[in-house]
Amino acid sequence: MSELRRVGEVEWELPATGPMRVPGRVFADAGLLEAIGADGSLDQLRNVATLPGVVDAVLAMPDVHQGYGFPVGGVAATALPDGVVSPGGVGFDVNCGVRLLAAPFTGEELGARREALVHEISRAVPAGTGRGSGFRVSGGQLERVLADGPRALRGIGTAEDVELTESGGRLDGADPAAVSDRARERGSDQLGTLGSGNHFLELQRVDRLHEPATAEAFGLAEGQVTVLIHSGSRGLGHQVCTDFVKRFQGALARHGIELPDRQLACAPASSAEGRSYLAAMAAAANFAWANRHVIAHRIREAVGRVLGDEAAAGVRQVYDVAHNVAKIERYGGRDLCVHRKGATRAFPPGSGEIPARYREAGQPVFIPGSMGTASYVLAGRPGAIERSFGTVCHGAGRSLSRTAARKRIQGAELRRQLEEQGITVRSPSNRGLAEEAPFAYKEVEKVVEVVERAGLAVRVARLRPIGVVKG
Amino acid sequence: MPFRWIDHTAELELELEASSEEGLFEAAFEAMRELLSGPQTAERVEVEVELEGSDHALLIADWLGELAFLGETRGLVPDRLASLELGERGASARVEGAAGDPPHLVKGVTYHRLALGRVDGRWRARVVLDV
Repeated sequence: MSELRRVGEVEWELPATGPMRVPGRVFADAGLLEAIGADGSLDQLRNVATLPGVVDAVLAMPDVHQGYGFPVGGVAATALPDGVVSPGGVGFDVNCGVRLLAAPFTGEELGARREALVHEISRAVPAGTGRGSGFRVSGGQLERVLADGPRALRGIGTAEDVELTESGGRLDGADPAAVSDRARERGSDQLGTLGSGNHFLELQRVDRLHEPATAEAFGLAEGQVTVLIHSGSRGLGHQVCTDFVKRFQGALARHGIELPDRQLACAPASSAEGRSYLAAMAAAANFAWANRHVIAHRIREAVGRVLGDEAAAGVRQVYDVAHNVAKIERYGGRDLCVHRKGATRAFPPGSGEIPARYREAGQPVFIPGSMGTASYVLAGRPGAIERSFGTVCHGAGRSLSRTAARKRIQGAELRRQLEEQGITVRSPSNRGLAEEAPFAYKEVEKVVEVVERAGLAVRVARLRPIGVVKG
Repeated sequence: MPFRWIDHTAELELELEASSEEGLFEAAFEAMRELLSGPQTAERVEVEVELEGSDHALLIADWLGELAFLGETRGLVPDRLASLELGERGASARVEGAAGDPPHLVKGVTYHRLALGRVDGRWRARVVLDV
């Protein structure tokens, strides 16, 4: 860690050495820095800093951990038109992200019906590692979803849901023709499904308001029940990444690009390959927003079956954010391709990218904790534009491997412990449950505290889990 | 054991070892047979696989990816590698198994730290999977 130089209260610089084109910047306190130094995150950050066209600095958010190619929790911006785009800088799960729903009732009002609601939600949303059984779309409908995202799904969700989604649930430039048949085949029956791994649905209660006025602007009140949806573009997005990492291997020599890691495969954003990837990635991102849109619809239906139509109609979407995506954004008069891999956009008050009703409050950001611990609602602040390409962290960040987590606790024991804490658990696999044990993650409080101390965002509300449906 | 899984913070690394290059591809099949074991029916499935490429490190990653793809899209629970031919420009194989519901654990087969080569007279390969 001696190579890091402190440049702010919770900000450290990794000087540009060797083939690095720019320095690295790490947002962390002393404790998180120790964890970051213990895995390969910083080596991966150095590798990212060698990408052609990368500008200013490559960033590690406080939840950063070792990934493949890019670290998870990494941010890199390249200058257009000729800076590169790297599919590995987005990841396999294109537009993995988080949607928050707010219910029109409190935890107290839900009372003893909590278990029934968690159970009904788990029945309504297919989860786990098996085959799709999702919302099947015809060929034509899939084309429209890839082009337009959730607005292509007539009769599902509301216009307000679409408005309160990052980028309106549709990335410009999406071209369904850029998405391969293999990707379509993987995704065709997966719309409205949760998937496995760290994907989950969580029923929560707002247990603390840090910024009451902002919370009110987001429609959140103390005691209110919320539902957090964490999922992405499923097999369709995974295949888009696979296709283009492979295709870009052949383009490297043509563009004279040498890389320290093949997973960083990239091409100038202005090249035919680069444009094709951006078009396919945008389509996969639209598919992911449609996926969370259908999941939200199914949750509303589940609320209706347990609590009645009025309660279902009162479930409103707070916002939906992506945390695996590359977007074209403007900073300091430059058009940049901002890669966020395991990192969330967090624009400050006044940004034209934020829905009008939240423009004075700042963009809502959701930071899920691990099972059994709190999640946070944040709001973007000007420091994010000044220091992190409008970006903050995306979660608590893993600190233990899945095997290490399983060695420390059995799924059945973890389930018992969570139930004792008043958290109803539904999971298709005890093994998968153990892999997501709270101790396998960093402390989310420390992560969001660093974000706040760095001036990137502020805490708005804390959400405590009362039910978990694990993928 | 011709293969070994190593679990990292967020990925799964596969180490393969064999006496021949073809043996690495056979070991990779065995590893995926273990990973894709799941509920199955009595219906038998045979699939011909054709892979193109002269870089055998990329080819073995594609081989793993193809087996994961068949599991996810066709429900193939593989149990027998009936034939395998590895050439300068690609590979062809016939995979047999049961129709079933294998776990969709593999998001993607990465090229991160991808390696394939001969070390001390043995063929070795390393592939990292995003799971």
